[in-house]
Amino acid sequence: MDNYAFQLYSQILKTFWRVFLIILGLASLIFIFPYVKNVLIMFIIAWLLSMLLSPLVDFLESKGFGRSWAILTVMVLILVLLGFSFSLIIPGIIRTVESLTSKLQSDVITELSTKIENFFEKNFNNAELARNVTVKLNEIGVKLLVSLGEFFKNVGSFLASMVVVPFITFFLIKDARRFKKAIISTVPNKYFELSLNILHKVENQVGKYIQGQAIDALIVGILSTIGLFIINLVFDNSIPYFVFIGMLAGLANLIPYIGPVVGAIPALTLAILNNPPGLGMVLLWIVIVFIAVQAIDNYLVSPMVVSKSVNMHPLTVVVVVIIGGSIAGAMGMLFAVPFTGIIKVTSSQIIWGLKNYKLNSSSPLKENLSINTEGIEN
Amino acid sequence: MENPIWGNGIFRKKKKDSNIFVLLRQVPIFSELSPKELTEVEKIVHRRKYKKGEPVIRTGDPGLGMYIIVKGSVDIIEEDDKAGRRILAKLTDGAFFGDLALLDESPRSASAIALEESDIIGFFRPDFLDLIYRKPKLGIKVLFALARVIGERLRHANELLIKTQEEKDASR
Repeated sequence: MDNYAFQLYSQILKTFWRVFLIILGLASLIFIFPYVKNVLIMFIIAWLLSMLLSPLVDFLESKGFGRSWAILTVMVLILVLLGFSFSLIIPGIIRTVESLTSKLQSDVITELSTKIENFFEKNFNNAELARNVTVKLNEIGVKLLVSLGEFFKNVGSFLASMVVVPFITFFLIKDARRFKKAIISTVPNKYFELSLNILHKVENQVGKYIQGQAIDALIVGILSTIGLFIINLVFDNSIPYFVFIGMLAGLANLIPYIGPVVGAIPALTLAILNNPPGLGMVLLWIVIVFIAVQAIDNYLVSPMVVSKSVNMHPLTVVVVVIIGGSIAGAMGMLFAVPFTGIIKVTSSQIIWGLKNYKLNSSSPLKENLSINTEGIEN
Repeated sequence: MENPIWGNGIFRKKKKDSNIFVLLRQVPIFSELSPKELTEVEKIVHRRKYKKGEPVIRTGDPGLGMYIIVKGSVDIIEEDDKAGRRILAKLTDGAFFGDLALLDESPRSASAIALEESDIIGFFRPDFLDLIYRKPKLGIKVLFALARVIGERLRHANELLIKTQEEKDASR
Protein backbone atom coordinates (compact mmCIF):
# COMPACT_ATOMS: atom_id res chain seq x y z
CA MET A 1 0.00 0.00 0.00
CA ASP A 2 2.87 2.36 0.90
CA ASN A 3 4.50 1.51 -2.36
CA TYR A 4 1.27 2.30 -4.23
CA ALA A 5 0.93 5.64 -2.42
CA PHE A 6 4.53 6.50 -3.28
CA GLN A 7 3.95 5.66 -6.98
CA LEU A 8 0.77 7.74 -7.03
CA TYR A 9 2.58 10.63 -5.34
CA SER A 10 5.46 10.56 -7.84
CA GLN A 11 2.97 10.35 -10.72
CA ILE A 12 1.10 13.42 -9.45
CA LEU A 13 4.40 15.26 -8.93
CA LYS A 14 5.52 14.38 -12.46
CA THR A 15 2.21 15.57 -13.95
CA PHE A 16 2.38 18.77 -11.90
CA TRP A 17 5.91 19.55 -13.16
CA ARG A 18 4.89 18.77 -16.74
CA VAL A 19 1.89 21.14 -16.56
CA PHE A 20 4.00 23.77 -14.78
CA LEU A 21 6.71 23.59 -17.46
CA ILE A 22 4.15 23.83 -20.28
CA ILE A 23 2.56 26.92 -18.67
CA LEU A 24 6.02 28.42 -18.06
CA GLY A 25 6.99 27.73 -21.69
CA LEU A 26 3.80 29.33 -23.02
CA ALA A 27 4.19 32.34 -20.70
CA SER A 28 7.80 32.90 -21.78
CA LEU A 29 6.77 32.55 -25.43
CA ILE A 30 4.12 35.27 -24.96
CA PHE A 31 6.68 37.41 -23.08
CA ILE A 32 9.43 36.96 -25.70
CA PHE A 33 7.17 37.26 -28.77
CA PRO A 34 7.08 41.11 -29.01
CA TYR A 35 10.90 41.20 -28.88
CA VAL A 36 11.46 38.52 -31.51
CA LYS A 37 8.46 39.34 -33.70
CA ASN A 38 10.49 41.21 -36.34
CA VAL A 39 13.21 38.55 -36.51
CA LEU A 40 10.55 35.88 -36.73
CA ILE A 41 8.83 37.70 -39.61
CA MET A 42 12.20 38.04 -41.39
CA PHE A 43 12.83 34.31 -40.97
CA ILE A 44 9.36 33.48 -42.28
CA ILE A 45 9.86 35.70 -45.34
CA ALA A 46 13.30 34.14 -45.91
CA TRP A 47 11.82 30.66 -45.62
CA LEU A 48 9.06 31.52 -48.12
CA LEU A 49 11.70 32.93 -50.48
CA SER A 50 13.83 29.82 -50.09
CA MET A 51 10.81 27.70 -51.06
CA LEU A 52 10.27 29.95 -54.05
CA LEU A 53 13.86 30.00 -55.27
CA SER A 54 14.85 26.39 -54.58
CA PRO A 55 13.55 25.03 -57.93
CA LEU A 56 15.63 27.60 -59.82
CA VAL A 57 18.70 26.77 -57.73
CA ASP A 58 18.13 23.03 -58.28
CA PHE A 59 17.79 23.66 -62.02
CA LEU A 60 21.13 25.52 -62.15
CA GLU A 61 22.71 22.77 -60.04
CA SER A 62 21.50 20.18 -62.56
CA LYS A 63 23.31 22.20 -65.24
CA GLY A 64 26.61 21.81 -63.40
CA PHE A 65 26.68 24.84 -61.05
CA GLY A 66 27.91 24.35 -57.48
CA ARG A 67 25.03 24.86 -55.00
CA SER A 68 26.45 28.07 -53.48
CA TRP A 69 27.14 29.55 -56.92
CA ALA A 70 23.67 28.55 -58.12
CA ILE A 71 22.06 30.33 -55.12
CA LEU A 72 24.22 33.43 -55.60
CA THR A 73 23.41 33.58 -59.33
CA VAL A 74 19.65 33.31 -58.74
CA MET A 75 19.72 35.85 -55.90
CA VAL A 76 21.83 38.38 -57.80
CA LEU A 77 19.54 38.05 -60.84
CA ILE A 78 16.45 38.62 -58.72
CA LEU A 79 18.01 41.51 -56.78
CA VAL A 80 19.00 43.20 -60.05
CA LEU A 81 15.48 42.69 -61.39
CA LEU A 82 13.88 44.02 -58.20
CA GLY A 83 16.33 46.93 -57.98
CA PHE A 84 15.57 47.89 -61.57
CA SER A 85 11.80 47.69 -60.99
CA PHE A 86 12.00 49.69 -57.75
CA SER A 87 14.20 52.36 -59.32
CA LEU A 88 11.42 52.83 -61.88
CA ILE A 89 8.51 52.71 -59.45
CA ILE A 90 9.65 54.19 -56.08
CA PRO A 91 10.50 57.76 -57.26
CA GLY A 92 7.07 57.91 -58.89
CA ILE A 93 5.32 56.87 -55.67
CA ILE A 94 7.27 59.41 -53.61
CA ARG A 95 6.33 62.17 -56.09
CA THR A 96 2.65 61.16 -55.94
CA VAL A 97 2.59 61.15 -52.12
CA GLU A 98 4.42 64.51 -52.00
CA SER A 99 1.99 66.14 -54.40
CA LEU A 100 -0.96 64.60 -52.52
CA THR A 101 0.38 65.87 -49.18
CA SER A 102 0.93 69.44 -50.42
CA LYS A 103 -2.47 69.39 -52.10
CA LEU A 104 -4.10 68.32 -48.85
CA GLN A 105 -2.17 70.95 -46.85
CA SER A 106 -2.72 73.90 -49.17
CA ASP A 107 -6.06 73.50 -50.84
CA VAL A 108 -8.35 71.07 -49.13
CA ILE A 109 -7.78 71.87 -45.44
CA THR A 110 -7.65 75.68 -45.93
CA GLU A 111 -10.77 75.60 -48.04
CA LEU A 112 -12.54 73.36 -45.54
CA SER A 113 -11.47 75.56 -42.59
CA THR A 114 -12.81 78.73 -44.24
CA LYS A 115 -16.06 77.00 -45.10
CA ILE A 116 -16.55 75.72 -41.54
CA GLU A 117 -15.68 79.10 -39.99
CA ASN A 118 -18.20 80.81 -42.25
CA PHE A 119 -20.82 78.16 -41.50
CA PHE A 120 -20.48 78.53 -37.69
CA GLU A 121 -20.36 82.35 -37.82
CA LYS A 122 -23.39 82.46 -40.03
CA ASN A 123 -25.56 79.92 -38.18
CA PHE A 124 -24.46 80.17 -34.55
CA ASN A 125 -22.83 83.60 -34.52
CA ASN A 126 -19.98 82.03 -32.53
CA ALA A 127 -16.51 82.78 -33.96
CA GLU A 128 -14.69 81.10 -31.04
CA LEU A 129 -16.44 77.76 -31.61
CA ALA A 130 -15.62 78.02 -35.29
CA ARG A 131 -11.94 78.62 -34.49
CA ASN A 132 -11.89 75.64 -32.09
CA VAL A 133 -13.33 73.37 -34.75
CA THR A 134 -10.79 74.52 -37.34
CA VAL A 135 -7.93 74.08 -34.85
CA LYS A 136 -9.13 70.51 -34.22
CA LEU A 137 -9.37 69.92 -37.97
CA ASN A 138 -5.85 71.16 -38.47
CA GLU A 139 -4.64 68.86 -35.67
CA ILE A 140 -6.28 65.89 -37.40
CA GLY A 141 -4.65 66.91 -40.68
CA VAL A 142 -1.21 67.14 -39.03
CA LYS A 143 -1.73 63.75 -37.35
CA LEU A 144 -2.64 62.24 -40.73
CA LEU A 145 0.54 63.62 -42.28
CA VAL A 146 2.65 62.39 -39.34
CA SER A 147 1.22 58.89 -39.68
CA LEU A 148 1.99 59.04 -43.40
CA GLY A 149 5.60 59.90 -42.45
CA GLU A 150 5.64 56.97 -39.98
CA PHE A 151 4.47 54.69 -42.75
CA PHE A 152 7.48 55.71 -44.84
CA LYS A 153 9.79 55.17 -41.86
CA ASN A 154 8.39 51.62 -41.71
CA VAL A 155 9.09 51.29 -45.41
CA GLY A 156 12.69 52.26 -44.56
CA SER A 157 12.99 49.51 -41.94
CA PHE A 158 11.34 47.17 -44.42
CA LEU A 159 14.06 48.00 -46.95
CA ALA A 160 16.72 47.44 -44.23
CA SER A 161 15.27 44.02 -43.53
CA MET A 162 15.52 43.35 -47.24
CA VAL A 163 19.29 43.28 -46.72
CA VAL A 164 19.07 40.73 -43.91
CA VAL A 165 16.43 38.53 -45.54
CA PRO A 166 18.58 37.54 -48.57
CA PHE A 167 21.39 36.61 -46.18
CA ILE A 168 19.10 34.26 -44.22
CA THR A 169 17.57 32.97 -47.47
CA PHE A 170 21.03 32.03 -48.81
CA PHE A 171 21.76 29.75 -45.87
CA LEU A 172 18.24 28.34 -45.74
CA ILE A 173 18.63 27.16 -49.35
CA LYS A 174 22.25 26.08 -49.03
CA ASP A 175 21.88 24.07 -45.84
CA ALA A 176 18.23 22.99 -46.11
CA ARG A 177 19.15 19.29 -46.19
CA ARG A 178 21.51 19.62 -43.22
CA PHE A 179 18.85 21.45 -41.19
CA LYS A 180 16.35 18.74 -42.07
CA LYS A 181 18.79 15.98 -41.13
CA ALA A 182 19.57 17.70 -37.83
CA ILE A 183 15.87 18.01 -36.99
CA ILE A 184 15.02 14.45 -37.99
CA SER A 185 18.01 13.03 -36.07
CA THR A 186 16.29 14.05 -32.82
CA VAL A 187 13.16 12.00 -33.60
CA PRO A 188 12.91 8.57 -31.87
CA ASN A 189 13.26 5.51 -34.16
CA LYS A 190 9.59 4.62 -33.72
CA TYR A 191 8.48 7.86 -35.38
CA PHE A 192 11.47 8.27 -37.71
CA GLU A 193 9.98 7.08 -41.04
CA LEU A 194 6.63 8.69 -40.24
CA SER A 195 8.25 12.07 -39.49
CA LEU A 196 10.55 11.90 -42.50
CA ASN A 197 7.66 11.00 -44.81
CA ILE A 198 5.44 13.78 -43.42
CA LEU A 199 8.29 16.31 -43.60
CA HIS A 200 9.00 15.46 -47.26
CA LYS A 201 5.32 15.54 -48.24
CA VAL A 202 4.63 18.81 -46.46
CA GLU A 203 7.76 20.36 -47.98
CA ASN A 204 6.74 19.18 -51.44
CA GLN A 205 3.12 20.35 -51.23
CA VAL A 206 3.90 23.63 -49.50
CA GLY A 207 6.67 24.31 -52.03
CA LYS A 208 4.30 23.68 -54.93
CA TYR A 209 1.62 25.86 -53.29
CA ILE A 210 3.96 28.80 -52.70
CA GLN A 211 5.45 28.54 -56.20
CA GLY A 212 1.94 28.32 -57.68
CA GLN A 213 0.78 31.37 -55.73
CA ALA A 214 3.84 33.36 -56.82
CA ILE A 215 3.36 32.47 -60.51
CA ASP A 216 -0.35 33.27 -60.21
CA ALA A 217 0.38 36.66 -58.57
CA LEU A 218 2.95 37.45 -61.27
CA ILE A 219 0.52 36.62 -64.10
CA VAL A 220 -2.32 38.63 -62.49
CA GLY A 221 0.14 41.52 -61.98
CA ILE A 222 1.25 41.45 -65.61
CA LEU A 223 -2.34 41.14 -66.95
CA SER A 224 -3.54 44.02 -64.73
CA THR A 225 -0.60 46.18 -65.86
CA ILE A 226 -1.36 45.45 -69.54
CA GLY A 227 -5.07 46.28 -68.98
CA LEU A 228 -4.27 49.58 -67.23
CA PHE A 229 -1.70 50.40 -69.92
CA ILE A 230 -4.38 50.00 -72.61
CA ILE A 231 -6.76 52.27 -70.62
CA ASN A 232 -3.93 54.81 -70.40
CA LEU A 233 -3.42 54.63 -74.18
CA VAL A 234 -7.10 55.18 -74.90
CA PHE A 235 -7.82 57.78 -72.20
CA ASP A 236 -4.62 59.82 -72.43
CA ASN A 237 -2.60 58.75 -69.32
CA SER A 238 -5.56 58.79 -66.95
CA ILE A 239 -3.99 56.38 -64.42
CA PRO A 240 -0.54 57.38 -63.13
CA TYR A 241 2.01 54.67 -62.10
CA PHE A 242 -0.04 51.89 -63.65
CA VAL A 243 2.92 49.45 -63.47
CA PHE A 244 3.04 49.81 -59.67
CA ILE A 245 -0.75 49.51 -59.38
CA GLY A 246 -0.75 46.42 -61.60
CA MET A 247 1.95 44.74 -59.53
CA LEU A 248 0.11 45.69 -56.32
CA ALA A 249 -2.98 43.99 -57.73
CA GLY A 250 -0.88 40.87 -58.37
CA LEU A 251 0.37 40.92 -54.77
CA ALA A 252 -3.13 41.51 -53.38
CA ASN A 253 -4.27 38.48 -55.36
CA LEU A 254 -2.48 36.33 -52.75
CA ILE A 255 -5.56 36.94 -50.59
CA PRO A 256 -8.46 35.05 -52.19
CA TYR A 257 -11.88 36.75 -52.44
CA ILE A 258 -10.68 39.98 -50.77
CA GLY A 259 -7.50 40.50 -52.84
CA PRO A 260 -9.09 41.27 -56.21
CA VAL A 261 -11.24 44.05 -54.65
CA VAL A 262 -8.28 45.44 -52.72
CA GLY A 263 -6.22 45.33 -55.93
CA ALA A 264 -8.71 47.50 -57.83
CA ILE A 265 -9.00 50.23 -55.15
CA PRO A 266 -5.61 51.96 -55.74
CA ALA A 267 -6.31 52.17 -59.49
CA LEU A 268 -9.76 53.69 -58.91
CA THR A 269 -8.46 56.11 -56.23
CA LEU A 270 -5.57 57.37 -58.35
CA ALA A 271 -7.84 57.80 -61.34
CA ILE A 272 -10.31 59.87 -59.23
CA LEU A 273 -7.48 62.01 -57.79
CA ASN A 274 -6.04 62.51 -61.28
CA ASN A 275 -9.55 63.54 -62.46
CA PRO A 276 -9.03 63.00 -66.22
CA PRO A 277 -11.68 63.97 -68.81
CA GLY A 278 -14.30 61.22 -69.07
CA LEU A 279 -13.63 60.00 -65.51
CA GLY A 280 -16.80 57.88 -65.45
CA MET A 281 -15.70 55.86 -68.49
CA VAL A 282 -12.17 55.45 -67.08
CA LEU A 283 -13.57 54.08 -63.80
CA LEU A 284 -15.89 51.74 -65.70
CA TRP A 285 -12.99 50.41 -67.80
CA ILE A 286 -10.83 49.91 -64.69
CA VAL A 287 -13.60 47.77 -63.17
CA ILE A 288 -13.99 45.84 -66.45
CA VAL A 289 -10.21 45.23 -66.64
CA PHE A 290 -10.08 43.87 -63.08
CA ILE A 291 -13.14 41.65 -63.63
CA ALA A 292 -11.62 40.32 -66.87
CA VAL A 293 -8.27 39.64 -65.18
CA GLN A 294 -10.06 37.78 -62.37
CA ALA A 295 -12.04 35.72 -64.91
CA ILE A 296 -8.83 34.75 -66.76
CA ASP A 297 -7.15 33.96 -63.43
CA ASN A 298 -10.03 31.86 -62.07
CA TYR A 299 -10.72 29.85 -65.23
CA LEU A 300 -7.31 29.58 -66.89
CA VAL A 301 -4.31 30.45 -64.71
CA SER A 302 -5.29 29.32 -61.22
CA PRO A 303 -6.44 25.78 -62.14
CA MET A 304 -3.10 25.19 -63.86
CA VAL A 305 -0.62 26.65 -61.39
CA VAL A 306 -2.17 26.73 -57.91
CA SER A 307 -2.27 23.54 -55.86
CA LYS A 308 -5.76 22.20 -55.11
CA SER A 309 -4.69 20.84 -51.72
CA VAL A 310 -5.31 24.12 -49.91
CA ASN A 311 -8.81 25.13 -50.99
CA MET A 312 -10.36 27.23 -48.24
CA HIS A 313 -13.86 28.36 -47.30
CA PRO A 314 -14.43 32.13 -47.84
CA LEU A 315 -15.29 32.55 -44.14
CA THR A 316 -11.97 30.93 -43.13
CA VAL A 317 -10.16 33.32 -45.48
CA VAL A 318 -11.82 36.39 -43.94
CA VAL A 319 -11.13 35.24 -40.37
CA VAL A 320 -7.45 34.37 -40.98
CA VAL A 321 -6.86 37.65 -42.87
CA ILE A 322 -8.24 39.61 -39.88
CA ILE A 323 -6.07 37.59 -37.44
CA GLY A 324 -3.00 38.02 -39.70
CA GLY A 325 -3.63 41.76 -39.84
CA SER A 326 -3.84 42.07 -36.06
CA ILE A 327 -0.59 40.11 -35.59
CA ALA A 328 1.65 41.60 -38.28
CA GLY A 329 -0.24 44.38 -40.07
CA ALA A 330 -0.36 44.45 -43.88
CA MET A 331 2.32 41.75 -44.16
CA GLY A 332 0.28 39.57 -41.83
CA MET A 333 -2.81 40.04 -43.98
CA LEU A 334 -0.84 39.16 -47.09
CA PHE A 335 0.70 35.99 -45.67
CA ALA A 336 -2.25 34.83 -43.52
CA VAL A 337 -3.83 32.69 -46.24
CA PRO A 338 -0.60 31.02 -47.44
CA PHE A 339 0.24 30.22 -43.81
CA THR A 340 -3.17 28.78 -43.12
CA GLY A 341 -2.66 26.73 -46.27
CA ILE A 342 0.63 25.42 -44.87
CA ILE A 343 -1.03 24.50 -41.55
CA LYS A 344 -3.85 22.75 -43.44
CA VAL A 345 -1.42 20.72 -45.58
CA THR A 346 0.71 19.83 -42.55
CA SER A 347 -2.23 18.67 -40.44
CA SER A 348 -3.72 16.60 -43.28
CA GLN A 349 -0.34 14.90 -43.80
CA ILE A 350 0.02 14.19 -40.09
CA ILE A 351 -3.45 12.58 -40.09
CA TRP A 352 -2.46 10.54 -43.19
CA GLY A 353 0.72 9.40 -41.46
CA LEU A 354 -1.03 8.41 -38.23
CA LYS A 355 -3.58 6.40 -40.22
CA ASN A 356 -1.04 4.55 -42.37
CA TYR A 357 1.83 3.84 -39.97
CA LYS A 358 1.33 1.10 -37.38
CA LEU A 359 2.85 2.92 -34.45
CA ASN A 360 1.27 0.81 -31.72
CA SER A 361 1.90 -2.67 -33.13
CA SER A 362 3.91 -4.98 -30.85
CA SER A 363 7.43 -6.12 -31.71
CA PRO A 364 7.34 -9.40 -33.70
CA LEU A 365 10.28 -10.68 -31.62
CA LYS A 366 8.00 -11.05 -28.63
CA GLU A 367 6.14 -13.90 -30.31
CA ASN A 368 7.24 -17.32 -31.49
CA LEU A 369 8.78 -17.39 -34.93
CA SER A 370 9.23 -20.13 -37.50
CA ILE A 371 12.46 -19.96 -39.49
CA ASN A 372 12.74 -19.96 -43.26
CA THR A 373 15.84 -18.56 -44.88
CA GLU A 374 15.19 -19.55 -48.48
CA GLY A 375 14.30 -16.13 -49.79
CA ILE A 376 14.21 -12.48 -48.84
CA GLU A 377 11.37 -10.17 -49.63
CA ASN A 378 11.52 -6.50 -48.93
CA MET B 1 27.67 15.44 -38.12
CA GLU B 2 28.40 19.12 -37.56
CA ASN B 3 25.50 21.05 -36.10
CA PRO B 4 24.08 23.19 -38.94
CA ILE B 5 22.79 25.78 -36.50
CA TRP B 6 25.97 26.37 -34.48
CA GLY B 7 28.57 25.10 -36.98
CA ASN B 8 30.56 27.41 -39.25
CA GLY B 9 28.55 27.42 -42.44
CA ILE B 10 31.00 29.27 -44.69
CA PHE B 11 34.54 28.21 -43.81
CA ARG B 12 33.61 24.64 -43.13
CA LYS B 13 35.98 21.80 -43.90
CA LYS B 14 34.27 18.98 -45.74
CA LYS B 15 34.59 15.93 -43.53
CA LYS B 16 34.14 12.45 -44.89
CA ASP B 17 32.92 9.61 -42.76
CA SER B 18 35.29 6.98 -44.17
CA ASN B 19 33.29 4.18 -42.60
CA ILE B 20 30.06 5.09 -44.43
CA PHE B 21 32.02 5.97 -47.57
CA VAL B 22 33.59 2.48 -47.80
CA LEU B 23 30.29 0.83 -46.95
CA LEU B 24 28.30 2.75 -49.58
CA ARG B 25 30.84 1.67 -52.20
CA GLN B 26 30.07 -1.98 -51.40
CA VAL B 27 26.33 -1.56 -51.94
CA PRO B 28 25.49 -2.72 -55.50
CA ILE B 29 23.33 0.31 -56.34
CA PHE B 30 26.20 2.68 -55.51
CA SER B 31 29.05 0.53 -56.87
CA GLU B 32 29.46 2.52 -60.10
CA LEU B 33 29.69 5.94 -58.45
CA SER B 34 32.87 8.01 -58.36
CA PRO B 35 34.23 9.19 -54.97
CA LYS B 36 32.79 12.66 -55.62
CA GLU B 37 29.37 11.20 -56.40
CA LEU B 38 29.53 8.98 -53.32
CA THR B 39 30.12 12.12 -51.25
CA GLU B 40 26.84 13.51 -52.62
CA VAL B 41 25.04 10.32 -51.54
CA GLU B 42 26.75 10.42 -48.16
CA LYS B 43 25.29 13.92 -47.61
CA ILE B 44 21.70 12.73 -47.92
CA VAL B 45 21.71 9.42 -46.04
CA HIS B 46 20.44 9.23 -42.45
CA ARG B 47 22.43 7.32 -39.83
CA ARG B 48 20.45 5.74 -36.98
CA LYS B 49 21.13 3.47 -34.03
CA TYR B 50 18.63 0.71 -33.13
CA LYS B 51 18.41 -1.21 -29.86
CA LYS B 52 17.99 -4.99 -29.66
CA GLY B 53 14.43 -5.95 -30.64
CA GLU B 54 13.60 -2.53 -32.06
CA PRO B 55 11.77 -2.54 -35.44
CA VAL B 56 13.55 -0.77 -38.31
CA ILE B 57 10.57 -1.20 -40.67
CA ARG B 58 7.14 -2.74 -40.06
CA THR B 59 4.96 -4.82 -42.39
CA GLY B 60 2.20 -2.71 -43.95
CA ASP B 61 3.85 0.68 -43.35
CA PRO B 62 4.23 2.84 -46.48
CA GLY B 63 7.64 2.15 -48.07
CA LEU B 64 10.00 5.12 -47.89
CA GLY B 65 13.44 3.84 -48.74
CA MET B 66 16.24 1.33 -48.23
CA TYR B 67 18.49 0.59 -45.25
CA ILE B 68 22.11 -0.52 -45.15
CA ILE B 69 23.55 -2.20 -42.05
CA VAL B 70 26.81 -0.53 -40.98
CA LYS B 71 27.26 -2.71 -37.90
CA GLY B 72 24.92 -5.19 -36.25
CA SER B 73 22.30 -7.63 -37.47
CA VAL B 74 18.67 -7.58 -38.53
CA ASP B 75 15.97 -10.22 -38.96
CA ILE B 76 13.68 -9.92 -41.96
CA ILE B 77 10.30 -11.22 -40.80
CA GLU B 78 7.20 -12.03 -42.80
CA GLU B 79 3.97 -11.46 -40.91
CA ASP B 80 0.81 -13.23 -41.99
CA ASP B 81 -2.54 -13.37 -40.20
CA LYS B 82 -3.01 -17.08 -41.01
CA ALA B 83 0.53 -18.48 -41.15
CA GLY B 84 1.86 -16.37 -38.30
CA ARG B 85 5.34 -14.93 -38.36
CA ARG B 86 8.45 -16.45 -39.87
CA ILE B 87 12.00 -15.29 -40.33
CA LEU B 88 12.95 -14.94 -43.99
CA ALA B 89 16.56 -13.94 -43.51
CA LYS B 90 19.15 -12.72 -41.09
CA LEU B 91 21.21 -9.81 -42.41
CA THR B 92 24.51 -8.57 -41.03
CA ASP B 93 27.18 -5.88 -41.69
CA GLY B 94 27.09 -4.44 -45.23
CA ALA B 95 23.73 -6.04 -46.17
CA PHE B 96 20.85 -3.90 -47.41
CA PHE B 97 17.05 -4.23 -47.47
CA GLY B 98 13.92 -2.30 -48.48
CA ASP B 99 15.38 -1.18 -51.81
CA LEU B 100 12.05 -1.63 -53.68
CA ALA B 101 10.67 1.27 -51.62
CA LEU B 102 13.01 3.55 -53.57
CA LEU B 103 10.59 3.13 -56.49
CA ASP B 104 7.16 3.53 -54.91
CA GLU B 105 5.22 3.89 -51.67
CA SER B 106 3.74 0.35 -51.68
CA PRO B 107 3.29 -1.07 -48.17
CA ARG B 108 6.28 -2.98 -46.76
CA SER B 109 5.91 -6.73 -47.36
CA ALA B 110 8.09 -7.68 -44.38
CA SER B 111 9.33 -6.29 -41.09
CA ALA B 112 12.96 -5.77 -40.13
CA ILE B 113 13.91 -6.11 -36.46
CA ALA B 114 17.32 -5.35 -34.97
CA LEU B 115 18.79 -8.50 -33.37
CA GLU B 116 21.40 -6.57 -31.41
CA GLU B 117 22.42 -2.95 -31.02
CA SER B 118 22.77 -1.96 -34.69
CA ASP B 119 24.16 0.99 -36.61
CA ILE B 120 22.09 1.44 -39.78
CA ILE B 121 21.96 4.03 -42.56
CA GLY B 122 18.81 4.89 -44.52
CA PHE B 123 18.58 6.14 -48.10
CA PHE B 124 15.11 7.47 -48.89
CA ARG B 125 12.99 7.97 -52.00
CA PRO B 126 12.32 11.74 -51.67
CA ASP B 127 16.06 12.41 -51.29
CA PHE B 128 16.76 10.04 -54.20
CA LEU B 129 14.22 11.84 -56.44
CA ASP B 130 15.73 15.18 -55.45
CA LEU B 131 19.19 13.81 -56.29
CA ILE B 132 17.99 12.61 -59.72
CA TYR B 133 16.72 16.15 -60.43
CA ARG B 134 19.80 17.97 -59.13
CA LYS B 135 22.48 15.51 -60.34
CA PRO B 136 20.93 13.67 -63.31
CA LYS B 137 24.13 11.77 -64.27
CA LEU B 138 24.51 10.42 -60.75
CA GLY B 139 20.79 9.63 -60.52
CA ILE B 140 20.82 7.63 -63.77
CA LYS B 141 23.79 5.55 -62.56
CA VAL B 142 21.93 4.66 -59.34
CA LEU B 143 18.66 3.99 -61.21
CA PHE B 144 20.43 1.62 -63.66
CA ALA B 145 22.13 -0.22 -60.82
CA LEU B 146 18.79 -0.49 -58.98
CA ALA B 147 17.13 -1.86 -62.14
CA ARG B 148 19.94 -4.42 -62.44
CA VAL B 149 19.51 -5.55 -58.82
CA ILE B 150 15.74 -5.92 -59.29
CA GLY B 151 16.26 -7.70 -62.63
CA GLU B 152 18.60 -10.21 -61.02
CA ARG B 153 16.11 -10.81 -58.23
CA LEU B 154 13.34 -11.37 -60.79
CA ARG B 155 15.53 -13.82 -62.73
CA HIS B 156 16.27 -15.69 -59.50
CA ALA B 157 12.56 -15.78 -58.63
CA ASN B 158 11.76 -17.13 -62.10
CA GLU B 159 14.36 -19.87 -61.74
CA LEU B 160 12.91 -20.86 -58.36
CA LEU B 161 9.41 -20.90 -59.86
CA ILE B 162 10.49 -23.14 -62.75
CA LYS B 163 12.33 -25.45 -60.33
CA THR B 164 9.28 -25.72 -58.10
CA GLN B 165 7.03 -26.36 -61.09
CA GLU B 166 9.40 -29.12 -62.35
CA GLU B 167 9.47 -30.75 -58.90
CA LYS B 168 5.68 -30.64 -58.80
CA ASP B 169 5.43 -32.21 -62.30
CA ALA B 170 7.97 -34.92 -61.39
CA SER B 171 6.06 -35.88 -58.25
CA ARG B 172 2.83 -36.44 -60.20
